[in-house]
Amino acid sequence: MKLSKIFLPLIAATALTGCDSFLDIQPVGKVIPTTADEFRSLITEGYSNVPYDRGLTSFRTDEVLLDATMDANDLSSYLDIWRWNDTSSDENTASFSWRTFYHVLFIANYTIESEKLMTDGSGDEIRQMVGEAYMLRALMHFNLVNLYAPAYTTCTPETTKAVPLKLDSDVESVLSRNTVAEVYKSILDDLDSAEEYLNTDTWETGYNYRFNTLSPDAMRSRVYLYMGKWEESLAASERVIAKHPQLSDINAELPNAYNSVENIVALEQTMQSQYARTIKINRNFYSKFSSTDLRRRAYFKQVTTSNITLVKGGSNTYSCTFRSGEMYLNAAEAAWHLGQYDDARTYTEKIYAVRYTDGGAAKTAAIEATDDTDVLDEILEERARELAFEGHRWFDLRRNGQPRMERSYRGETYVLEQGDARYTLRIPAEAITANPELAE
Amino acid sequence: MLTVVLLTAFAAGASAQRTISGLIVSSEDGEPVIGASVTVSETQLKKAGSTARVLGAVTDIDGNFRFVIPEKVTEIEIRSVGFTPRTIHLVDGVNSYDIKLDPASEILGDVVVTGYQVIEKRKLTAAITKINIDDAAIGSVMNIDQALAGQIAGLSAVQSSGSPGAPLKIRIRGTASLQGTQDPLWVIDGVPMNGTDLPSTEDLKDIDNLYQSSIAGLNPADIESITVLKDAAATAIYGTRAANGVIVVTTKNGKQGKPEVTFSTRLTYSPKPNIDRLNLLTSDEKVDLELDLLRSDYTYRESKGEVSRILAAAGVLDAYKRGGWSAVPSDVQARINALRGINTDWNDILFRDTFNQEYNLSVSGGGEKATYYTSFGYQDEQGNVDGASMNRFNLVLKTKYRFSESFKVGASVFLNRRKNKSYLTDNDGFTNPVYYSRRANPYQQPYDANGNYIYDTDIQGRADSDLKYNVFEERNNTEYTLETTGITALVDADLRFTDWLRATTQLGVQIDKTDSKSYAAGETYAMRKEFYRTEVIGADGKRASFLPDGGRSMESSYSNKQLTWKAQLEFAKRFNTLHELELMAGTEIRKTWYDGFASTAYGYDKKTLTSKPVLFPNESWARLFPLHSESYTENAYVSFYANGSYSLLQRYTLGASVRFDGSDLFGVDKKYRYLPLYSFSALWRISEEPWLRESTFVQNLALRMSYGIQGNIDKSTSSFVMGDYKNESILPGVVEDVIVLGTPPNRRLRWEKTHTANIGLDAGFFGNIVNLSVDAYYRKGNDLISLKMLPLETGFMSTMVNWASMRNRGVEVALSTRNINTRDFRWVTNFNLAYNENIVLNETVPFNQTTPSREGYPVNAIFAYRTAGLDSDGMPLFVNKDGDAVSAKEYFKLNGAGASTLSAAEQRDLYTYIGSGDPLWTGGFINTFNYKNFDLTVNFAFNLKMYTRIQPSYSTVWFDRGMNTNRDILDRWAPTNTSATLPALLPDNGYRSDERLNYGEQNTYAMLDTWVKRNDHVRLQSINLGYNLPTPLIHRIGLASVRVAFEARNLVVFGANYKNFLDPETMGNPFAQPIPKSYTFNLQVKF
Repeated sequence: MKLSKIFLPLIAATALTGCDSFLDIQPVGKVIPTTADEFRSLITEGYSNVPYDRGLTSFRTDEVLLDATMDANDLSSYLDIWRWNDTSSDENTASFSWRTFYHVLFIANYTIESEKLMTDGSGDEIRQMVGEAYMLRALMHFNLVNLYAPAYTTCTPETTKAVPLKLDSDVESVLSRNTVAEVYKSILDDLDSAEEYLNTDTWETGYNYRFNTLSPDAMRSRVYLYMGKWEESLAASERVIAKHPQLSDINAELPNAYNSVENIVALEQTMQSQYARTIKINRNFYSKFSSTDLRRRAYFKQVTTSNITLVKGGSNTYSCTFRSGEMYLNAAEAAWHLGQYDDARTYTEKIYAVRYTDGGAAKTAAIEATDDTDVLDEILEERARELAFEGHRWFDLRRNGQPRMERSYRGETYVLEQGDARYTLRIPAEAITANPELAE
Repeated sequence: MLTVVLLTAFAAGASAQRTISGLIVSSEDGEPVIGASVTVSETQLKKAGSTARVLGAVTDIDGNFRFVIPEKVTEIEIRSVGFTPRTIHLVDGVNSYDIKLDPASEILGDVVVTGYQVIEKRKLTAAITKINIDDAAIGSVMNIDQALAGQIAGLSAVQSSGSPGAPLKIRIRGTASLQGTQDPLWVIDGVPMNGTDLPSTEDLKDIDNLYQSSIAGLNPADIESITVLKDAAATAIYGTRAANGVIVVTTKNGKQGKPEVTFSTRLTYSPKPNIDRLNLLTSDEKVDLELDLLRSDYTYRESKGEVSRILAAAGVLDAYKRGGWSAVPSDVQARINALRGINTDWNDILFRDTFNQEYNLSVSGGGEKATYYTSFGYQDEQGNVDGASMNRFNLVLKTKYRFSESFKVGASVFLNRRKNKSYLTDNDGFTNPVYYSRRANPYQQPYDANGNYIYDTDIQGRADSDLKYNVFEERNNTEYTLETTGITALVDADLRFTDWLRATTQLGVQIDKTDSKSYAAGETYAMRKEFYRTEVIGADGKRASFLPDGGRSMESSYSNKQLTWKAQLEFAKRFNTLHELELMAGTEIRKTWYDGFASTAYGYDKKTLTSKPVLFPNESWARLFPLHSESYTENAYVSFYANGSYSLLQRYTLGASVRFDGSDLFGVDKKYRYLPLYSFSALWRISEEPWLRESTFVQNLALRMSYGIQGNIDKSTSSFVMGDYKNESILPGVVEDVIVLGTPPNRRLRWEKTHTANIGLDAGFFGNIVNLSVDAYYRKGNDLISLKMLPLETGFMSTMVNWASMRNRGVEVALSTRNINTRDFRWVTNFNLAYNENIVLNETVPFNQTTPSREGYPVNAIFAYRTAGLDSDGMPLFVNKDGDAVSAKEYFKLNGAGASTLSAAEQRDLYTYIGSGDPLWTGGFINTFNYKNFDLTVNFAFNLKMYTRIQPSYSTVWFDRGMNTNRDILDRWAPTNTSATLPALLPDNGYRSDERLNYGEQNTYAMLDTWVKRNDHVRLQSINLGYNLPTPLIHRIGLASVRVAFEARNLVVFGANYKNFLDPETMGNPFAQPIPKSYTFNLQVKF
C-alpha cells in the first residue's frame, strides 16, 4: 500500500489547488477602461464611429447625378435616396444612421461622467478628453437634429418634435423626442462646457481629427447660422478667423484634405469611398463652376462630357468637419443678414482670391457691382461651390427655401416640391420598433 | 425493529448450521457482481424448522458472500438488480459456490455510469435512461447523436439540416433557460467534451457551413452504451454545464478471453429529395404571373424577370402596359411564349442521390493482467448536393491494466480525422443550392446551346445587378474543404486501499483542430462581388478594383484544446449488513484554450500556387480585407464536488450531492465566482419489502424522488463598461488603439436559478413482462437571463436581463412489454411518451416591447393578429376587441408614416395567443419482432399539439417578381379575383399608403394569424429487418456470427396540413433541407 502514501496527499493537495490564481485569467484584448490612456482609446472608438451621413445626404441634393448606365449594385443602394423615394425604397437602399450616433453619444457621455474616475493621467489630458466628449455630443445631436427634424428656421422650434437628447450613459432610461429648441439649447450648452475643458490648440497631423480649442467657436459659427442668430454666428466666425485665417492654395492641396492648411477639425469623411465612386457630378451643378474657377479641375475630373467624377472624396484623406473656408462663408452670410453688406462682400472675396485664376479679380469686381439685396444669392452660390460634397448642401437647402428639385431616371420624372416634407428624413423604422415612443 | 428481525434469524438457526460462501460474477464479462443479495426464502426457513422470516447476505465489492444458514436449507436465492434471479440448490458438503448471473433485460441495466461514479441501479435515486448501442432498435446511424432520436422519453432530437454529417439539435426536457446554450453536455468515458454546442440552425443552412460538432468524431460502432441524465439528482455533480442535461457515452472495452474480431459495414442510399410539395410555379404560371403584374399597378421591381426584360429590350414595355398582349408584336410574343416551354428542374440538376459507406473493424480481448480494445472505422459519404462529400476515419485504442487486485490503470486514445468537401456558397445566401433550387425561375437555363453559362441576374434580390451568377460556374470554379482532426486521450487510475475506500483520478486531453481551405477562381460570382466591393476611383477618374486579377485562396485553422484533471476519493461500506454508506468527494480542474488564425491571398493562381500582393488604397480598406487574423481565448475552471448515499436494508436510500463551480470571470463581481449547486434524493425499493418480495405479480417496484438547485450567470455581461482592444486608423498614417464596446454595462444582472424536483416510479410486472417507468418533474427557473432589445438611443442593440421566471412541468412514461415470448417468436413493444408543459410565471416586459407578455403562456408562445378575411381592396381585416372587422389603419391607429400611434402597451394588447411553438406531447413507439433468426423493428416518433409560424408565402409590399415562389401568389386578392383569401400585392400609388408602409416596414404582415399552422406529426422513423445466419452453418466456415440487416429511415410522415412545405419538422423555413429518406444495408461478422 505504498501507493496510498502518494495518493492521499495528492488528493489533499488537489483540493487546495483550486485557488483563485488559477482562475485569474486576463482575457487577451479585454479591458475595462480606467486609465486616461484607456479612455483615450475609448474616445478614439467614439471618433471612429462618427457616421458619414452628411455625405449620404449629398445624394438628395442637386450635387449628384445618377443614371441608368451606372453600376447596378450601386444604383440599388442609392437610387431611392437620390429620387427621394422614402416610402417604397428598395430593401438594399443604404440607410441613414441612428444607433451609431447614439453609440458615439454613449461613449461621449460615459467619458464626461468618468472625469473624476480616470487614473494615471494629467489633469489637462483628462480635461481635454472631457472637452472633446462635449464636442462629440454637440456634433452628434446637431447632425441628428438636422437629419431627422425640420430646419430650425422653418418650424416653431419650441413645439416641433426633433430627436431624443441623450445626455447620460444610462442604458435603462426611455427617451422620447425633444423639441428642436431643446436640442439646439443642449448643443450650445455643450459647446460652452467644451470650451471650458478643451486645452489643446492644435493636434499633430494625423491626430487632427480630434477637437481643439478652436472647435467650440467653429461649431457655434455653424449652429447659430442654422438658427438664424446672425450676430452670434458672425462673432464666432470672426473669433475663429482671427486665430485661423489661412486658406488653402487650391493648386497645391484640396481644402478638405485632412492635412490642408485650412482644416480645423479633420473628422468626418463625408464622401467615403463607396459614395465617391458611385456618383457622377450633376451637370447643372458642375456648371456653377466657371472656366476661371480653379476648383472645377481641383474638385472634379471630367472623364467624358457627361461623366464627371469626384476628386475631393473617396478616402480618409478627405476628412473635414470644420475648415476656414466655411468660416468665411458663414461670416459673409451672417454679415449680409445683419445688413453689413460690405463685410459680406469682403468675406466672400477672401474665397475668390484663392479659388479663381486671376486671384478672383473678375469675381470681386462683379460682386462689388451687385446690388446689396442680391449679394446673398452670390454668397450662397459660392458656398455651394466651395463646400461642394462636404456634406453641407442638403442642410443649406433645408434652411434656404427648400427649393423644388426635379430629376429623371429612365424616362420617369421625380419631383421634390418646394418645402416638401421629405426635406426631413423619417426616423428609421427599426428605431421606432425598438422604441415606440419615437412614433410620437 | 429491523435489527430484531435479523437477530432472530441468527438466533433461530443456532441448532444446526453451516457456513456458505461464494463468489458471484456476471456471466457476460466475468466481473464480480457487487451488492447481490443472497437469501433463504421464508418457505425454506420454515422447512428447516427456523422461526426466522428473513435470512440473507449481500456480496461485497469483490462479489464474495459468506453467511451462516440452518443445515436443512437446501436452496438459496440470488438476486441482483440487472440480473436474472437464480436459485441455487445446495449440495451437502459443498460450502463454497461460484455462481454466474445472467444479465436481465435491458430495462434494468446492471449499473449506471454517471461519468463520476458507477452507481448500482438498485441504489439509483435519479431519473436516468440508459440505452445500449448494440440494440437493433438503434439501427444504422452515422453519428451517435442520431441514435438518440425517438428512443428516450423527454429527449427530442431534431435534424438540423440534411447536409452530410450535420449534427442534431438535442433538447432534454424542454427549454431550461433562454440564455446561452441549450445543448446537453456530452461526456465520453468520464470526460466532459468541449465544442459540442451547436451554432444556430440558421447558420447550418448553407452547405459550405460544414459545421462539425466534436461528437461527430465518434464512431457509433465503438460505443457500448449511452446514459441520459435528466434530473437534478443526476446532473448536479456536473455543475453548471449540466443545466441542459447530460449525455454520458461509454465506449466499448476489451473483455477477458481470446481475441474477438468484428467486422461490420453499413451501406446507405438516400434518394434525392422530392420538392413537389413546395408547389413552385411552373414556367407557364410564372410567365403568366409576370405578364399579369406588368399590367397591374404593382410596380415593385418591375424590371425583374425575363418577361419584363424581353419587353423592355424590344421597346414595347409601355405598349404592353397600355394595350396588353395584343399590343406586343408577334415575334416578341413568341419569345415570351418560348419561356413557357423551358421548365428547368433545378432540384433535379442540383441534387443527387446520396451514397454512404461505412466500414468498421475491431479487435478486443485480453488476459488476467490486461485487456484491450482496438478499432478502426472508415466512413465515406457523397452528399446530396453534387460536389459535397464527407469522410471520416477513426482509430480507438483502449487498454486496461490490472497491476493488482487493488490497482488498475486504463489508457485510451480516440483519434479521428474528418474531411468535408464542398464548394463555396456566398454569404448572400442565394448561392446555397437549396435556396437557389427553390427561387430560380423555372424558365432560367444554366447553359446555352453552345454550352456557355447563362447568367442569372434575377436571384440576387437587388433591383438591378450586373454581377453575373451561374450556379454551375460557381460549383466548378470554387472549392471548400474542411479537415478536422480530433484527439482525445484519457488516462485513469483506480487504487483501492481497502474494500471500503478507493481513490480514482483521471486525466483527459482533448484536442480538436480544424483546417479549412477555400478557393474561388477569378471567374466566379464570389470574386465578381469581391471585385465590385473593392472598386475605387483611380487617378484616371475611372473605377477599378484594387484587388489583383485572379482568384482568392483563404485558409484558416482553429484549435480547441482542453485539459481536465479530476481526483476523487470514494468510501463505500456496509455496516451490519443493514446500513450501506457511500461517500465521494473530489475536485476537478479544467482549462480550455481556443486559438485560430485565418489568412487570405488574392490574385491566387491554383496551378502555380502563387498569389499577388494587394495594394490597398489606404488603411481603412486594408482593415476591411484582413489578409491575416488571429484569435486566442483561454478559460479556467475549478470545481469541488461531493456526494453521498445511505441505504438501509437495501430498500431505503437517501442521496445528496453538492458542487461548487468556479471559473474565470473578467469584469464580473467575484461573488459570482463560485456557483453552488446541490441536490437531495431518495429511493424506496418497494419490491424489496418482505410483503412484496414473494409477489408473482410485481417483480420490481421502486420509487425515486429528487430535488436540486442550479445557478447560472452570464459570463459575457459585465457591470462595467468593458470592451475589446482593436485598432483603427481614422486619418492616413496613424493607427491607434480603440476599445470596441460590444455590450452595454449591466449592473442589474443577477444569478439565474433553477429548481428541479423529480418523482419517479420504476415497476416490473409479471416476471418483468411489463416494465414501466414513470417520471414526473417540476422545474422552475427564477431570474432567467435572456437577451432583450434595447431602444437604439442607448447606443446598443441589446442587453442581458433577468427577464422572467418559468416553469416546466412534465410527465415521462416509458413502457416496455414483452407481448409474446415463445421459443421462436418474440414481440416486444417499447413506448415512450413525454408531456411537457412550459409556462412563463412572470415576465418583466420592457416598456418598448410591442409583443405581448408571455406571462401565463409557454415561453415559445405564438401570438398573432386575428384576421377576418380581406376588405374590398384585398387588404387584411383585423378583429378588434369588440369583434368587429377593421382595417389596419384603425386597428393600429397608424400615422401617415405607417407607424402605430398606440403606446407599446396598447400594441401588446392587439395580439391573440394561438398556441405553443413546442410540442406538448412527444414520444416514440417501437415494436421489435423476433422470429427464429429474423428480427424486425418498427420505430415511430411523434410530436403533438404544437404550432409553427410559417414564413409568409409572399410579401404584399416587397414581392420580387424576379424569383420563383409557391402557388399561393396565384391565390392572392386582385380586382379580378375578389374571392381570394390571401392579401393583394400593394402598389406604391399613394392609395392607403399608411397601411402599405406599415406592411412594408413593420412586422405586421408576418404576424397575421394566416401564417400560423398547427403542426402535429407522426413519423415512421425507421423499419429495420435483420437476420442472423444460423450458427451451425457459420461455425462450419469458421465464423462466430453473421448478421445482415436492412433498414429504411424516414419513409413516411403523417402530419397536419403542411402544404407548401416538405416536412412538418422543417415547416416554417421553406429553405430548410428536408429530412432525407434513406435505405441501409448492414452486415456484421464476428470471427
